[in-house]
Amino acid sequence: MIDALFNQPDYLAAKKALDAVALRQQAIASNIANLETPGYKRMDVAASFSTELRRACASRDPQEIAALKPQLEVDPNAVPVSPDGNTVSLEDELFKMNQNSLANTLETQLISTDFYRLKMAITGTAT
Amino acid sequence: MIDILSGVQSTAAALDAERTRLDVISENIANASTTHGADGKPYQRQVVVFESALQQAMGGGPATPTLRVAGIEKDPRPFELVYEPGNPDADSHGMVAMPNVNVQEEMADMISASRTFDANLAVIKNARDMALQVLTIGKH
Amino acid sequence: MIPLTAIQPLMSAGGVTPGESITPSLPVTPAEQPGALAPSQPSGDSFSTMLGKMVEEVNGKQITASQTVNSLQAGGDVSLHQAVISMEEANVSFQLMVEVRNKLLDAYQEIMKMQV
Repeated sequence: MIDALFNQPDYLAAKKALDAVALRQQAIASNIANLETPGYKRMDVAASFSTELRRACASRDPQEIAALKPQLEVDPNAVPVSPDGNTVSLEDELFKMNQNSLANTLETQLISTDFYRLKMAITGTAT
Repeated sequence: MIDILSGVQSTAAALDAERTRLDVISENIANASTTHGADGKPYQRQVVVFESALQQAMGGGPATPTLRVAGIEKDPRPFELVYEPGNPDADSHGMVAMPNVNVQEEMADMISASRTFDANLAVIKNARDMALQVLTIGKH
Repeated sequence: MIPLTAIQPLMSAGGVTPGESITPSLPVTPAEQPGALAPSQPSGDSFSTMLGKMVEEVNGKQITASQTVNSLQAGGDVSLHQAVISMEEANVSFQLMVEVRNKLLDAYQEIMKMQV
């Protein structure tokens, strides 16, 4: 009965998205720290993750969503921005960081709302 | 040690490295005209040498490099000789050896180091804001 | 008649408020002996099992939350949001259990008031 509370596809999807957001933040931090490291290739969450998440959400299958695992990889589409092969573009990274921060806000608010509604349903009053 | 801000270890290292670089640059600029140092010789430009060490792989991905200051070395480029017979440091021919500091070069370096420093600072601020946001989950 | 064996574990669990720190082991045992029912209670079997299962699940959530938070504090491979979310899930589960306990108590008292 308890597990059914948290086995909702939208809630699980929000949790997975938050996992990806945290991972992307780590990648962006590493990219910006290595802004001038010769030959450094920028990293990001594997591009396949967003397609997999979309497909799992469409299927509404909690198990499929829960089985997803976002991973970091070297960005295959990044082009060198300096002669030493470094593929980090600062403007690009800062833009992605801003987007990631907003995604973080969105997912945390979604999850917070889920908990709020559960508590309301359980206690019958607004907390 | 608790690890609340995810993945900012390399950021801290980069901030450290860039600050050292900025310190060295400002010392170079300050001594651009020092023809007679404590050792009697003209000031020799200093250069920060960075090295990259691979740190723990994160999130199952490939290992990422972290920046580190390997050392501060002296620039081996020769001093520029300038004809200035009135200078107390002039040799018998009236030539003075000037420090091998090119101020334009230092300024360009300083701008680049500042930019990297500011960017890494922004990463830390952003990580902190995101962590604070996450901590609001469940509070209404 | 709702057997007392099913309610007592919940009553002792209800003595802890939801706002308290999470302890890994609740002083609760799941209701056992589904067979020890009054013969006049045909579906009580599944009800007490269901309650017992719920208590176990809540306990499991508390343990997971505690482990996740400890791992975070020790610098383990756990991210902040995982710890926060597992704590919140444990809280909500516990709240649900407490509410169920309250409703059961109300029902029990209601029944006790009845003239037999």
